[in-house]
Amino acid sequence: MANNTIEAGKAAAAAIDTSSIEVLEGIRDKGRVWEDLCEQYGVKNPTPPWKMSLEGMCDALSEANCALPPVERRWEEDELSEELYLDVPFPERQLLALAHSMIRRNLVDENELAERMKIVDKRLNMV
Amino acid sequence: MAEKHNHDHNHAPMVEEISDFEVLEIAVRELCIEKGLFTIDDHRQFTEYAHNIGPLPAARLVAKAWLDPEFKKLALEDGVKASLEVGIDWITSPPTDFGTPSDYCDLRILEDTATTKHVVVCTLCSCYPRPILGHSPEWYRTPNYRRRIVRWPRDVLSEFGVNLPEGVNVRVEDSNQKCRFMVMPMRPEGTEGWTEEQLTEIVTRDCMLGVALPHPDRKHNAKRPIHKAINPVHGH
Repeated sequence: MANNTIEAGKAAAAAIDTSSIEVLEGIRDKGRVWEDLCEQYGVKNPTPPWKMSLEGMCDALSEANCALPPVERRWEEDELSEELYLDVPFPERQLLALAHSMIRRNLVDENELAERMKIVDKRLNMV
Repeated sequence: MAEKHNHDHNHAPMVEEISDFEVLEIAVRELCIEKGLFTIDDHRQFTEYAHNIGPLPAARLVAKAWLDPEFKKLALEDGVKASLEVGIDWITSPPTDFGTPSDYCDLRILEDTATTKHVVVCTLCSCYPRPILGHSPEWYRTPNYRRRIVRWPRDVLSEFGVNLPEGVNVRVEDSNQKCRFMVMPMRPEGTEGWTEEQLTEIVTRDCMLGVALPHPDRKHNAKRPIHKAINPVHGH
């Protein structure tokens, strides 16, 4: 691995603000993780239905226009996993860390995300 | 006219609620697309790619190498070229057409011998030969594995159930941005006369990461074994 890539990863991990973000705290506290849902409904799929979409998003963020390079994202994910999301299982932890990184990098605004979540939630629960 | 869907048969159970995590994933994705960080078409292509990859091509590559000495020679000399024979093109693989996402274009295949056992890690993050092995398992991503396998490989392998005799050397290969690694384990006894199909079934993902050994009775599509506890907790 080129040293500059390692340094970029280390720098990203050191620089990420690991203080909690309100909208993500709410999800961490109240969101139901896949393993609990599987147990309740008797489902055996090892990963939630959004996992592949999350993988696609991570790849698209790094490959489409390098908005979030993969090594920096992973170092930040490790840092956030240890500091803030230790009690959250995978892949929910991966998703929270990605959203956290994007907010801290000003790629997404926290309030904007909170508003969008309300809209998406309403749309998905429409009957 | 389409036939009516018959609801008399048993359906597999489904999760009948929408979680906040599902909502979060969609919300983040929609904002990314609106802000031009990627397009909806980019996302679809990368997600389809993520859906399509798995460890079977690598298992087939190992099985072919066990059966064909010339192919084995090629695999050990040029993993990228050998991958073509199991349908994986590292160079022009979709969706980027210039190498697979985050995976670059150099695959090295590490041959286990009677005296050397290989195991793969990425100490930096979680670099993994995704085009040929699919997605990395959760444990491969953990700092626990990444930090300890390079310091105490025998102990960690033992935790996976692989106990190596003293005479066997362990080589831990650290993946990096340019090179990805997979292990070609030794063909186990009891598989004499087997076809490529049969051999492919026993080369599991963990065997190709080096933390398991192939066994004639252990197939990648086998049902999960249940071993009763030797000292069960009372009442369980």
